[in-house]
Amino acid sequence: MAGPSPESSTSGDHGNDAVVGGMREHDRFLPIVGIGRIMRKAIPENGKIAREAKEFVQECVTEFISFITSEAVDKCQKEERKTITGDDLVWALSSLGFEEYVEPLKLYLQLYREVIVSLC
Amino acid sequence: MRQAGIYSGILSHRTGPHSLPLSRIKKIMRHSGSDSKAMMIAGEAPLVFSKACEIFIQELTARAYEITVLGRRRTLQKDDIATAITVTDLFDFLLQVVPESADAGDGAAPAAGGRPIDDACELLL
Repeated sequence: MAGPSPESSTSGDHGNDAVVGGMREHDRFLPIVGIGRIMRKAIPENGKIAREAKEFVQECVTEFISFITSEAVDKCQKEERKTITGDDLVWALSSLGFEEYVEPLKLYLQLYREVIVSLC
Repeated sequence: MRQAGIYSGILSHRTGPHSLPLSRIKKIMRHSGSDSKAMMIAGEAPLVFSKACEIFIQELTARAYEITVLGRRRTLQKDDIATAITVTDLFDFLLQVVPESADAGDGAAPAAGGRPIDDACELLL
């Protein structure tokens, strides 16, 4: 579960949350703390990351989620299904060029489902 | 084979203190387009994304840092990410979020820096 601190605002100003398309600005992105943590894992120990770069990756991740979700939604609609499943996302990822993500994700998904089934 | 934490974590949708928040992921999914608002989202879907986003962030960051290194720097800058996006086909969908370079008059041109981009093309393609 997330740590004790509340969700951090990306822009640093706490009073005004701009509303964009029905969502508050900082709700459009994943928290910068988590993103920064993951980014740091991808660079050497002595590397640093500019704040602006983390903010930019926040935008990119949201775009990534939207991109993949839209593709999965299209598939569901074509097949006249109302629920987007994990499999739909995996399919969308593969279809949009992210085939290398599929194997680790399938494993993750399988683990999840095993837990759910074991409870029924 | 029991791995403490993973099973109970998955069950309660707590993917650990170091993971991305599932409720926020779900919100972003909902706002992906007008059609997505009418869809139901299976419980496992945000979980799949939390892992996929992790991989995506690492890949984008690693590629961007290659540009940083080419520029003989140690601090990853926003422009390095922009350059990585420009030279990687997989990230074409991100071209729309890349800011227009101040140096280039044409919005479709890659980020500033002649030589590093050529080197980046050799390195990354």
